[in-house]
Amino acid sequence: MLDFKHTDRTRREFEGLALEHLDPLYSAALRLTKNERDAEDLVQDTFLRAFRFFDKFERGTNMKAWLFKILTNTFINRYRRRVKERTVVEGAAREQSSEKFIVRETAESAVNPEQYFFDKLLSDDVLRSIDGLPIDFRLVVILADLQEFSYKEIAEILDCPVGTVMSRLYRGRKLLQKNLMSYAVEQGVLQAPRAMELGSEAEEEADVLEFKRRAGG
Amino acid sequence: MALHCREIESFLPAYVDGEFDAVERAEVESHLVDCAACQHTVHIQAAMKEAVKRAAPAVAPIELRQSVRLALREEEPPGSRWDAVLRNPRSVGLLAAAVGAAVWFLAGGMSHPIFPARHSGFVDDGIALHRRGLPLDYAASDVGSVQQWLQGRLDFAARVPRFRQGPALQGVRLSELRSRSAAALSYAVPQASGGRLTLLIVDDPDDVDPPGSVRRLEGRQVWLSRSRGYNVVSWRTNEIVYSLISDLDETDVLQLVQAVEFR
Repeated sequence: MLDFKHTDRTRREFEGLALEHLDPLYSAALRLTKNERDAEDLVQDTFLRAFRFFDKFERGTNMKAWLFKILTNTFINRYRRRVKERTVVEGAAREQSSEKFIVRETAESAVNPEQYFFDKLLSDDVLRSIDGLPIDFRLVVILADLQEFSYKEIAEILDCPVGTVMSRLYRGRKLLQKNLMSYAVEQGVLQAPRAMELGSEAEEEADVLEFKRRAGG
Repeated sequence: MALHCREIESFLPAYVDGEFDAVERAEVESHLVDCAACQHTVHIQAAMKEAVKRAAPAVAPIELRQSVRLALREEEPPGSRWDAVLRNPRSVGLLAAAVGAAVWFLAGGMSHPIFPARHSGFVDDGIALHRRGLPLDYAASDVGSVQQWLQGRLDFAARVPRFRQGPALQGVRLSELRSRSAAALSYAVPQASGGRLTLLIVDDPDDVDPPGSVRRLEGRQVWLSRSRGYNVVSWRTNEIVYSLISDLDETDVLQLVQAVEFR
């Protein structure tokens, strides 16, 4: 016979700690898998795995970060290949939908059209450009910008050094900007040449420790 | 020493994200005061960060919250399995017998691999799928229309079997197990308290035997295994593995499989 009292207590404790993070986990899963169904599967798997390993969770530490670590690992291990296969098909369909963009007013944008564009970003454009990022960059952008984890937390979630988080974020944001700029050009808000500059720029590694050393000394 | 744009540029994300302490912030800002280009970069990065925060949050569907709760209810809590088993005198006896059996099994060496690792994985994933009870992709009670719906959606020729009596087909959900496409047919079982069984159909090009002990049913070879309180009977037809998953007892589930008919 199972000891139901013990079982219920553990489950209640887990639900109390974990379920409040359902929406953030789902939001992240949606941007990782790019479709609702896989996102639901991924989130459900994450909770089941987390519950299974709940005795390994150190009480009092960061539950949200712990759940995100499980979500990320689960995604990388089980969903990545499947989603990759599916996006090949969906990519073509998505391209066609880029027509429906709103024409923006241009009066204010005369002074600094680029800044104006970035201040008024449309959610559709933003989602589309996040989804266009390679997975490593997409992960850090989701964790840093959407979930607002610190670099240290992200490093723990992804199991990599803080310097790597920083350089991925640097390059991820650059790609994001580049994607968004190309929409601006597409919509006639910006001229093409300005947007092209970004693409040709060499990518650099960032090292936060080096900076800290310099700034301190 | 002042930092130049190229040096400072890669640190601007950390500045925007508030990762720096007061000294580091001051260092960056002393550069920003005189540098329109870097100010511009900071402005755009901050705007993008805001835009992501605005655009991407989503609210999980209510059904997901419910199905997570439901799945958790069925899931055994961590560490409880052995605790619970050891607290019960009767199960201690069973445990001793199991240990005995394991010793006997191991003494036989690895010459009889009854449980090839890859396939028992399939079955465990199938059980997880069964207990989660996620929504169906296509709901229908007649074999013909489910069969038709599956055509072109799977990369292998799955056959939807008929049961001579008992389980009523409810529909199908497509899934992916270990990067292979799979179909999970859902059935309602009126006579059982659990009320539900899943027939998992997975393509099996590798020709590895399903896990479990071999039984013969009307000249057909099936594999019976038990995991997490579920009985699973698997059989292979045309290199496709069918696994019937339920919490019915062994006799009932074997009887059901006996009643399976392919058109």
